[in-house]
Amino acid sequence: MVASIGEISAPAGRRRAARQNGGALGLALVAPAFGLMILLILLPACRSLLGTIFPDGAALPSLKSYQTFFADTRSVSNLLFTIQVTVVTLAILLTIGLTLALYLRFSQSRFVGAIQIIALFPLFVPGIVISFALIRFIGPTGLVATTLHVLGISGYQTPYLHPSGAIIGLVWENIPLTIMLLTAGLAQISNSSIEAARDVGAGWFRILSQIILPQLTRSIVVAASLNFLGIFGSFTVPYILGPAAPQMMSIFMQNTFSERHDSGVAETQAAVTFLVCLLVGVIYTACVFRDTARNGKAG
Amino acid sequence: MMTRRRGGISDQAAGALLLAALIIFVLGPLVCVMVWAFADVWRPPAFLPAEWGFKYWGLVLARADVRQALPVSLTISAIVTLLSAVVCLPAAYAFARLEFPGKRWLLLSFIAVNAFPRFPLYVSIAVFFLSSGLIGTYTAVVLVQLVFTLLFMIWIPAAAFRGVDPRMEEAARDVGASHLTVLLRITLPQAAPAIGAALLLTFVNTFYDVDGALLVGVPDVRTLPIIMLSLITGQIIVQYGAVLSVMLWVPSLVLLLFARRLFESRSFAAGFGA
Repeated sequence: MVASIGEISAPAGRRRAARQNGGALGLALVAPAFGLMILLILLPACRSLLGTIFPDGAALPSLKSYQTFFADTRSVSNLLFTIQVTVVTLAILLTIGLTLALYLRFSQSRFVGAIQIIALFPLFVPGIVISFALIRFIGPTGLVATTLHVLGISGYQTPYLHPSGAIIGLVWENIPLTIMLLTAGLAQISNSSIEAARDVGAGWFRILSQIILPQLTRSIVVAASLNFLGIFGSFTVPYILGPAAPQMMSIFMQNTFSERHDSGVAETQAAVTFLVCLLVGVIYTACVFRDTARNGKAG
Repeated sequence: MMTRRRGGISDQAAGALLLAALIIFVLGPLVCVMVWAFADVWRPPAFLPAEWGFKYWGLVLARADVRQALPVSLTISAIVTLLSAVVCLPAAYAFARLEFPGKRWLLLSFIAVNAFPRFPLYVSIAVFFLSSGLIGTYTAVVLVQLVFTLLFMIWIPAAAFRGVDPRMEEAARDVGASHLTVLLRITLPQAAPAIGAALLLTFVNTFYDVDGALLVGVPDVRTLPIIMLSLITGQIIVQYGAVLSVMLWVPSLVLLLFARRLFESRSFAAGFGA
């Protein structure tokens, strides 16, 4: 039996119970969920990757489908557009998220509770609802436009159906996750280390850059990678709020699969996206796993 | 928290500013939709509707596509939630309470689910379903939606199971209770609130899913969000989308009331590796 770190740190009673049960029960209980995951995630993803390398059951591997993808200017511009939107959204999200999380952690004002509630609120609003709501808010006849009109300010350029429309929607949707991850990280930084630094005369900027941020690196990496994957693989928000061309990869894939009925090409587009996200996915998994192993707990 | 000292002026001012910005950005769009849903006549750039009422609620509820889609959405969400619970709760219990060979690697593999971009994965699944003739069936929609309930249904209940004091279980076992009795009488009741929240979250997430349903369900299986998508992109009458938004949003608000504390706790963020 493999002794995990969790077992070593478990109380004596639990260890005894674990020995009595043996590993078979645990494995049996996990098996259905694991099987479903293999069947619905690993199998289709591997099938897609293999399918693009061995087109139509060919015996020899070929990179032809990838060559076709990268030779097509529309495919390449959609891929670059997706990367751009993701990076810009991520930068905005981390800025907003860090500002709010730091404020929530260190402020003593009366607004902390209300800020937390409203910042987590988007968690409970489905993508389809917020996409529609943002059309009514930032669209050509939306609240922002009519408010400016009433105030006599002209020249409002609506972000709706522009890249900025998709970015605004994606920022809106992903604020709660960013804040949850960053506040969880900030909660682990002890007050005493900050007070000690303040006692020896360190200013806010020094405390932030030399005490808080170094301890927050892991949370920032997790938040950044998870958001990168989430934004890169998002569909509804950019579909409704973003431009018709260039498109995010998800919309491009949906077009290819459902409207042009070209599943082979859609599969190549999906595979390219997987490969772009692979590095980020590995960073995320490694980061979380290292911590899981250290604490011997799930997540 | 109770003894929190009130901060200085600049602290208060910064808080007020952040709160105001958040209210405008987060709540502004939702208020717009609320107003549109009850606007019988509204011609922008007028700042407010000319006539208020429920005219469009009647019209939306009378639409054949909406009437057909609602039971479809409810049924699919219920089946997905049930299946997810049956498959995931045992795994959650095992991760929280049992030691078994390969536990760490199994944990890692579940965490790695987060590391897949969602829509491309749906496309892979859709291509797989296409070759098995499942496209456009209820089975396909249920399976595709099951994928992303796996995590919620494992992490949240696992955290809850871990929160149950093992000494209570030990005590019950010492006086002769069987494993099953301990599980049913001690462990499950204590973990019930979090499990309830996970079930609710799974139901709501499935109900609102557009991505999976659009890719593998259309044209034969049309859920309510798919109808809404067609009404939004069609853009004929704004109120249809607004009424459906408000209607669709009700289950979400229920979730908000029930589960707010869960999301402010660390166990939820832990599911993402916080």
